[in-house]
Amino acid sequence: MGNILEVRDKLKFLYIKNEVFLLPVLKFMLAFTSICIVSGRLGYMAKVDNLGLILIASLMCSFLPIGCVVFFSAIFSLLHLYALSLEAAAVVFALYLIIFLIFFRFGTKDSLLLLFTAILASMKIPYIVPIVAGLITGPMSVIPIACGLVVYYLLANISRNAAAIHAMGEEEAVAKVRMVLDSLLGNDELLVMIIAFAVTVFVVYILRRMSIDYSWTIAMIAGAIVNLMILLIGDLILDTEFGFFGAFLGTILALLCAKLVEFFKFCVDYNRIEKVQFEDDEYYYYVKAIPKMNVAKQRKTVKKINSQKSGGAYNKQPAARVETERTGPRNNYYRERTSAPKSVTIGHSTMEYEDDEFETLD
Amino acid sequence: MIKKERVILMTKLASYEENEGRHASKISRYFRGDYVSVHLLKSWVCITVVYALLAGLSILYDLETFMENLYKMDYLAFAKELIKWYVIMAVAYLVAVYIAYSYRYMKARKSLKRYSQNLKKLGSMYHR
Repeated sequence: MGNILEVRDKLKFLYIKNEVFLLPVLKFMLAFTSICIVSGRLGYMAKVDNLGLILIASLMCSFLPIGCVVFFSAIFSLLHLYALSLEAAAVVFALYLIIFLIFFRFGTKDSLLLLFTAILASMKIPYIVPIVAGLITGPMSVIPIACGLVVYYLLANISRNAAAIHAMGEEEAVAKVRMVLDSLLGNDELLVMIIAFAVTVFVVYILRRMSIDYSWTIAMIAGAIVNLMILLIGDLILDTEFGFFGAFLGTILALLCAKLVEFFKFCVDYNRIEKVQFEDDEYYYYVKAIPKMNVAKQRKTVKKINSQKSGGAYNKQPAARVETERTGPRNNYYRERTSAPKSVTIGHSTMEYEDDEFETLD
Repeated sequence: MIKKERVILMTKLASYEENEGRHASKISRYFRGDYVSVHLLKSWVCITVVYALLAGLSILYDLETFMENLYKMDYLAFAKELIKWYVIMAVAYLVAVYIAYSYRYMKARKSLKRYSQNLKKLGSMYHR
């Protein structure tokens, strides 16, 4: 466990140290994945379905705010839909506008959740999103998740019916609009998914905030079970076409991801819970403190004490070197050792010491 | 001499100024009523556009029936129905916006108060 925690700390440190470079790279990867999925699924406009163009757009996204990834993905999808049918593009544009005006005026932070939902849904593993969102965000994340599902089902159904839409003539514009809207209005699968994900987010959020041991683990497992149950019940009642086996595997993957998130965000040691009670003028406090699992950094202190020159003559005797190595917390482990110096300092008295961050010479 | 406590506090303050503080100071320029009113006004425009889009899409969805009944329908009743749904939708949305922005304003004020307390604390550290 100690080694894993050490790796975690190293990864965190590496991210913090290189955040300036890593963040654009991550944004680039997200934008590239998102636009590639859109182009792969739709890909009706040959001019836009071009790797060079996708790379340029992704590069632009890497230096722009995260909301731009959603914006560029939406633009690419609209261009492809325009090549398929003007009516389909107009309906999808209207729906994008509705989503933007109603929900995303409040903040662009949620757009990331929308994007992840749509991307993971296209990879057939959207079950990760509600569990992880319940763990790290609040119940309001239901809105971007629902929007992400709407966008995914809308585009997936248009892609499925593309041949039929393409075959329709210009005089059947209303039929095209109806076909696009039907993919949302009469879609029981979408309805079941939105209900299941919303309930899962609430369950996970409520349980993980409770003052119980292993609350995060309980929350994610309960969320996964609730999610599967609702999908199953929805499948039985509305006769949707869920692959239950796929949903089950997806949920297991979601649990693994949630565990990974817990490891990075909420790694605590329940064996060392401390319960304290105190009071002030106004309140009694019953506090439960759970220590975080951390690996104490190895701190090495080297003290080199050289003997002073005496009577004008240089002392060429090897100086005694005391090397103190301290590992872990102060009171846990303490070791001292004495060894011969690696270098001989001739001249005035020298004191040299160092730790992980500073090196000082006096 | 570097004081660890002071450096930590300064880092916290600088981080707040760079991120959350920038947003909070913008909000704090307004009175609560003005801030919420401006956003209610913007939201009213948005919900009107959204309603127009939804109404347009629903008419387009069933355009044939709509065209068939165009000359037979009771326009007053149709307008009443449209307005009724518009009012219901707008009121529901604006109530949600009112709650969201009031909460946001309160949160910003609270964080600014904490920020100024920390600034005072930092100042007192220099005068020790």
